[in-house]
Amino acid sequence: MPQLGNLALAIALILAVYSIVANIYGARRNAPDFIVSARHALWAMCAMVTIAVVVLWISLLRSDFSLEYVAAYSSTTLPTVYKFTSLWGGQQGSLLFWTWLLSIFTSIAAFQNRRRNPEIAPYALAVLAGVAIFFLLMLNFVTRPFDLLATVPAEGSDLNPLLQNYWMAIHPPSLYTGYVSATVPFAFGAAALMTGKLDDGWIRSTRRWAIFSWFFLTLGNMFGARWAYEVLGWGGYWAWDPVENAAFMPWLVMTAYLHSVMIQERKDVLKVWNLSLIGLAFGLTLFGTFITRSGVISSVHSFTQSGLGPYFLSFLITVTLAYSALLIFRSKQLRSPAEFESYLSREAAFLFNNLMLVGIAFAVFWGTIFPVLSEAVRGVKITVGPPFFNRVNGPLALGLVFLMGIGPLIAWRRTTADNLVRSFAAPVIIGVATGIVAAAAGVRIWYVLTAFSLAAFVLGTVLVEFRRGMNARRHMVSEPRAKALVNLVAKNNRRYGGYIIHIGTIVAFVGIVGSSFFRTEVKKSVHAGDSFSIGSYTLRFQGLDATDTPHLASATARVQVLSADGREITVMSPAKLFFKRPQQPATKVAIRSTPASDLYVVLAGIDDNGNTATFEVFLTPLVFWLWAGGLMMALGTVIVMWPNVRERAAIATALSRSTTDERELADIGAPGGD
Amino acid sequence: MHIRPRFFIGVGLIAVAIGYLIFNSIRTTSEYYLTVPEVAARQSELGGQAIRVAGRVKPGDIGWDPNTLTLKFEIGPLPEVGADGEPVKPVSSVAADPVSFRVVAAGEPKPDMFAPGRDVIVEGKIGADGTIAATQVMTSCPSKYRPKQAQ
Repeated sequence: MPQLGNLALAIALILAVYSIVANIYGARRNAPDFIVSARHALWAMCAMVTIAVVVLWISLLRSDFSLEYVAAYSSTTLPTVYKFTSLWGGQQGSLLFWTWLLSIFTSIAAFQNRRRNPEIAPYALAVLAGVAIFFLLMLNFVTRPFDLLATVPAEGSDLNPLLQNYWMAIHPPSLYTGYVSATVPFAFGAAALMTGKLDDGWIRSTRRWAIFSWFFLTLGNMFGARWAYEVLGWGGYWAWDPVENAAFMPWLVMTAYLHSVMIQERKDVLKVWNLSLIGLAFGLTLFGTFITRSGVISSVHSFTQSGLGPYFLSFLITVTLAYSALLIFRSKQLRSPAEFESYLSREAAFLFNNLMLVGIAFAVFWGTIFPVLSEAVRGVKITVGPPFFNRVNGPLALGLVFLMGIGPLIAWRRTTADNLVRSFAAPVIIGVATGIVAAAAGVRIWYVLTAFSLAAFVLGTVLVEFRRGMNARRHMVSEPRAKALVNLVAKNNRRYGGYIIHIGTIVAFVGIVGSSFFRTEVKKSVHAGDSFSIGSYTLRFQGLDATDTPHLASATARVQVLSADGREITVMSPAKLFFKRPQQPATKVAIRSTPASDLYVVLAGIDDNGNTATFEVFLTPLVFWLWAGGLMMALGTVIVMWPNVRERAAIATALSRSTTDERELADIGAPGGD
Repeated sequence: MHIRPRFFIGVGLIAVAIGYLIFNSIRTTSEYYLTVPEVAARQSELGGQAIRVAGRVKPGDIGWDPNTLTLKFEIGPLPEVGADGEPVKPVSSVAADPVSFRVVAAGEPKPDMFAPGRDVIVEGKIGADGTIAATQVMTSCPSKYRPKQAQ
């Protein structure tokens, strides 16, 4: 079996090399046969990598410990679902998984472009094959998933207990999907640079890929935060750890990219910027893998040193240099005649939104590599922790939220004063009123007041937009309100899906602000029967229950939660787990989540034969809304991605007959051209 | 791409503001990240300075008082790591460690993974007597990503 995996990976490498040669030869010599054959080679490559993945999966499920990988990351007692997820539990497996996704996406892109984009597609597919070659070289020669052990152990050393969690089952695949799918728009951008076909064709052909990537990066980050929240037991969900930052930076840059390509599609400006952003996004996915695998930057959950670092760094540098050279080479052709006219225009708002997003990404990057830089320059490793990231990103986030309110409502090119008043009067009132209510409710922190006011302002602008579009529809096709609203979203999904993403972002932002500023914490050691309080809750420790299985032993505390008037609300069961292989303790947090606040109970320690337990309890307001906002963002993205062809033409015709001005045309979603 | 000159003012202002924010925040929030031997070498100049110390928990003499949530232990140096990520050999566990510091962490529960021989990062300040008053003790996650074993 393992031999089959090795063989498949070797053949995949050869096919990838062949596909590059055939694609480029076919494109240069105008030989369609070669392009067809290159495409078939990519599909065959995908089949080979799939075989390797299946082989590793079967080996994991059969607990074939003759494989080093299986022995290191699985065991006979590991629940089946985690045997399955062990595929990405270790380095070799996760690289194989990465390569698999890449080969699948490459195959899909090859299929989509079998007749489209004849000029740039062969080059884009060659770039994708080039990236695949790097990963296949790693899998064939550096970090081989099918290496055998000289002596077969009777039992594997099991998956890290922290990873035996359902969030960990879905977080890495989401993130990888987001990372890897960003390669497709990057490849088309690079192909546009190589061929000199520098119109927005490459953007249009990969718009869905970019959104798809953003969708999974969003989910990946959210799942990771949720995992940290449920599993790590420190009451928070984000620690600005290098590994988290590595996942966050591509998200920021992709967000910027998705906004700025809209300006290029509309105004034919920012070509260099867009090409740079997609290059940066791809580079950051490699950088993320580099820092998590190289051990250059120490992280609390670092994946320790491995030999992969130098390879990734070399690849990253090569890609960056080659791509920059292409950009410089084409710089003359990339100048565009169009220009920005006014600060009070949507393109200006988008431009500043881009600056903020890239600024945040840069700050995160700087803070992440600062220890390395300071050691190189001053000889002393200086780290910056969460306070740095919060201080820099706090104000930038406010700016971003403000622009989120402005951007969608002001017109392209320039806006009149009259338009400003008409669009923004209601949202400004809503925002100010929210600030006053919050202040009256006792909030005295200026940041929180500003944040809540701005959040309400943005929600107000989105409401104004929905109302306008709904009224325009009712005016034109005379539908009842609810139906108009549904049709508005369904038929202009790109625009209104985007607004739903904005609402989700704001909701998540409120959750982040609330949970960051108002979290309270109590640490207490208590005897069975004793109670203590946090906020308006009283917690009574009733006792411990112990269980023991071959896989793990656990001690579960019964914690009765009482309201202020002494009524029992619930009984919570935080636990300590002791995994048998490797022998390692872990914490199972108990969380009672409500929209107002989360009660988060950690059994931090057991002493004195179980008569005394140490608890760490957090009361975190509004954190519920972070997850709710994340779901809304995902929902909005699905709406944006939803195929929408049938209604477009109809609407375009309806609009061309009506007498509305340009502004209102945009309002109900004149086809955005994709 | 063509942007009117006055746009450069806006773009420039934002870039400068972000740059200043980063610069200023680095200055006020940075901590020294040191290994145990580095702490020993610079002990005199570190008084009052926030530090993060990476080291390994020394066996023996570990105190844990659940009532006050106070953890006391000795932190010793990490084994030297070679370029290949493997500890430089030989690292003899019986050889006397040249330096170590007493760590007192109060008010925090004991981390799950905390045990003798584990790698930890201690955040806090070092006192005149060479005791590190820790605000946080983090155990490095013993993740299984690791270099290939030497054959």
